[in-house]
Amino acid sequence: MAKRILINLGRCIYCRACEVACEHVHGRSRIRVFEYAEIMAIPLNCRHCEKAPCIEVCPTRALYKDDDGAVVLQPLKCIGCMMCAIVCPFGVPELDESNKIMAKCDLCKSRRERGELPACVTVCPADALVYGDVEELMVEKKKLVVEKVVTSLREGTVPPFLASMGFVGKSR
Amino acid sequence: MSERIVPTVCPFCGFGCRLFVKSFNGVPVGIEYVRHDLPPNYGRLCPKGASAADFLRHPDRLTKPLKRVGEGEPRFREISWSEAIREIVEVFKKIRRDDPNAAGFLSSAKCTNEENYLMQKLARLFGTNNVDHCARLCHAPTVAGLLQTVGAGAQTNPFEDILKTRAIFVIGYNPAESHPVVMNYILRAKDAGAKLIVADPRRTRTTWFADYFLQFRPGTDVALLNGLAHVIVRDELYDREFVSKRTVGFEELRQALARYTPEYVEKVTGVPARLIEEVARVFATAGRGIIMWAMGLTQHTTGTDNVIAASNLMLLCGYIGKEGCGIYPMRGQNNVQGACDMGALANLLPGYRKVVDDAKRREVAKLWGVEDLPSEPGLTVVEMMHAAASGKLRAMYIMGENPAVSDPNLNHVYEALEKLEFLVVQDIFPTETARFADIILPAAAWAEKEGSFTSTERRVQWSFKACDPPGEAKPDWLILTIVGKELGLPGWREYSGPEDVLREINEVVPQYRGITPERLKKNLEGIFWPCPSPDHPGTKRLHVERFPTPDGKARLIPVEYRPPAELPDDEYPFILTTCRIVGMYHTNTMTGRIPSLVKRWIGPYAEINPSDAEKLGIRSGDRIVIETRRGRYECVAKVTNSVPPGIIAVPWHWGANVLTNDALDPVSKIPEYKVCACRVVKKG
Repeated sequence: MAKRILINLGRCIYCRACEVACEHVHGRSRIRVFEYAEIMAIPLNCRHCEKAPCIEVCPTRALYKDDDGAVVLQPLKCIGCMMCAIVCPFGVPELDESNKIMAKCDLCKSRRERGELPACVTVCPADALVYGDVEELMVEKKKLVVEKVVTSLREGTVPPFLASMGFVGKSR
Repeated sequence: MSERIVPTVCPFCGFGCRLFVKSFNGVPVGIEYVRHDLPPNYGRLCPKGASAADFLRHPDRLTKPLKRVGEGEPRFREISWSEAIREIVEVFKKIRRDDPNAAGFLSSAKCTNEENYLMQKLARLFGTNNVDHCARLCHAPTVAGLLQTVGAGAQTNPFEDILKTRAIFVIGYNPAESHPVVMNYILRAKDAGAKLIVADPRRTRTTWFADYFLQFRPGTDVALLNGLAHVIVRDELYDREFVSKRTVGFEELRQALARYTPEYVEKVTGVPARLIEEVARVFATAGRGIIMWAMGLTQHTTGTDNVIAASNLMLLCGYIGKEGCGIYPMRGQNNVQGACDMGALANLLPGYRKVVDDAKRREVAKLWGVEDLPSEPGLTVVEMMHAAASGKLRAMYIMGENPAVSDPNLNHVYEALEKLEFLVVQDIFPTETARFADIILPAAAWAEKEGSFTSTERRVQWSFKACDPPGEAKPDWLILTIVGKELGLPGWREYSGPEDVLREINEVVPQYRGITPERLKKNLEGIFWPCPSPDHPGTKRLHVERFPTPDGKARLIPVEYRPPAELPDDEYPFILTTCRIVGMYHTNTMTGRIPSLVKRWIGPYAEINPSDAEKLGIRSGDRIVIETRRGRYECVAKVTNSVPPGIIAVPWHWGANVLTNDALDPVSKIPEYKVCACRVVKKG
């Protein structure tokens, strides 16, 4: 089953520990955090698309999907032509000028092979980044929503989407 | 040839993260990022922890003892350890003969418990209580205030209790930047339904996650806290049973709170009365609540009053001594709690025994094999600088502190350090303070030695040696052992290692009696003090049955709002406050030498509200000069709504304390870093 890094929206504290950890593992950070209007921040790394356009266009077949579903670059095949960067909707692949190849997130392939989490996920203090089986992660997310609904019902405040369906909370 | 991965305690904030340092043949190669089952961080790190190993082999590291040669522009030459020790001992011996109180010692919240214990023992056997450390600049009001109200100046509950609480009240504290991993606990508590209330003059990153945000004027903390307590008492939302059974002084407090109506408090603090009413109700009726504070609450001339007001609020709600409740004064240094426990304070001996208490003092003296110890409270950090400037203090021994950046009113500090006859600085880098030194001693950094550290939740953890120190650098405990011996101090003994020192601490500090080196090394989770015997599991929650006061009850103490020492006027129309940022740490001695941090958190800046910026014609990125009555500071403007109009906020890491006010809280002697008057001009 495919594995991914999922971003927990609204949880990032913009500490950039993910960037710093990534830089220590890869020499240059392949994840980046963006602050928006001083009210929230979002970390962005390669989405490892199911139908990855970068793999499609790569003229030397340097990109492939590994067993976990990560889009991985084979440096010896890459010629640094930037085609992957051109088609990537997120602007993920960057040019590594000193090695004359592209550089992109590989979900910490070497760490995964040792059974460890990607570095950015390991350090993230706020758990804004989570890694795992996509299906399991989505179940976790659903569970959290259910918990929140139950808590607010118990406390008498009803979330708007339930209120619009006619639910009322216990009066205080 | 061997690779080792060794558990240490992170050298930065007081949260106490377990940090695994990887080394190869004794040379540090990096931090091992790994999820583990060790609290409090379970492998999570902030950017500073994630890059902590990078400064260990920085070319700036001090590797040999240095001696000043010539006057003026400091030039140093390398000398041998024996020559350095001889020079130090000669001068300090002479001062000891003349007047031991002419010497001052600064201990360090960056050093281990063992090293702090040795430093204060050295000072006291030398014959003076002039020993202090930077807790004076951060949580002295917490210690002074909480000692009066609940009888112990420490965090009452473990971090795991945050997950069990229903309401979190954060005042003058920005965990998202100063203790990022704490946010993990706060956000998980929120997932489980807890409400987050944040009170701060700045719209910090922590407020992004707040259910309620009380943006109050700097320095009006007492008014705000009294206002909340007023509503809680007026509407009878307080915990009757707790207040009557476990506290004294309710009637006096009720009378004093009468005038802090929400309307009056709105006028003083700027927080809408309606919001004060609502927050008071939410917090008091939550059932379980915690309060967290840090420098925003303490660094005021009313610091102790602020702490007492916060304590009153918690006692009224009955949120002490229970699971999922508690007082969390968040410590900023990895061992500031331990340094206080060890008595590296001018007025307190190990285990919080007051130096003026004859019986308690002689108890320590007896354990050290001497008749008595100095009984006069010594000079505190800022007082030492005043005494040095006036010539009363002739020599100082500074271990792992950088007052030339961290103290308020820096120009005065420079003058004081210049005036000293003799200054010893023992550190890992040539700090700004070391420029004034006569002798500089190269010390080993955290990963290059062993010892115990006490985190802000009273968790004592052993940090193992991961790699070798560079050059001739030595661990602080070893240097102090040698200096004490060469000085020929009565009662001094030589120690074979940190374990040896900790065994003596087990004898002297009652709270640490059962925290033996053997237990700590076996138990990586650490042990919570108080731990009265070797078979005691440690105490995670304080005040469960009774308070450590003579009658076992807590005190409700009325405190009145007093304005800060310096307020804006026509000449200096803005309020200046200081803050910190997540990627830099204190005086930047370490973080300023970590490339992955320096490139992300570039140079000094100041925050200014768009309306003020427009009036002054300032845009983001412009160079500006901030001036106060004490100094001027140049930096880059950052126009932002995170500060309200009339307030300038400046991260202090790059030396902004040339601006701040050294007016002191009369009780705890903490300077008022958080409020002073300033003006801003665009440079150009």
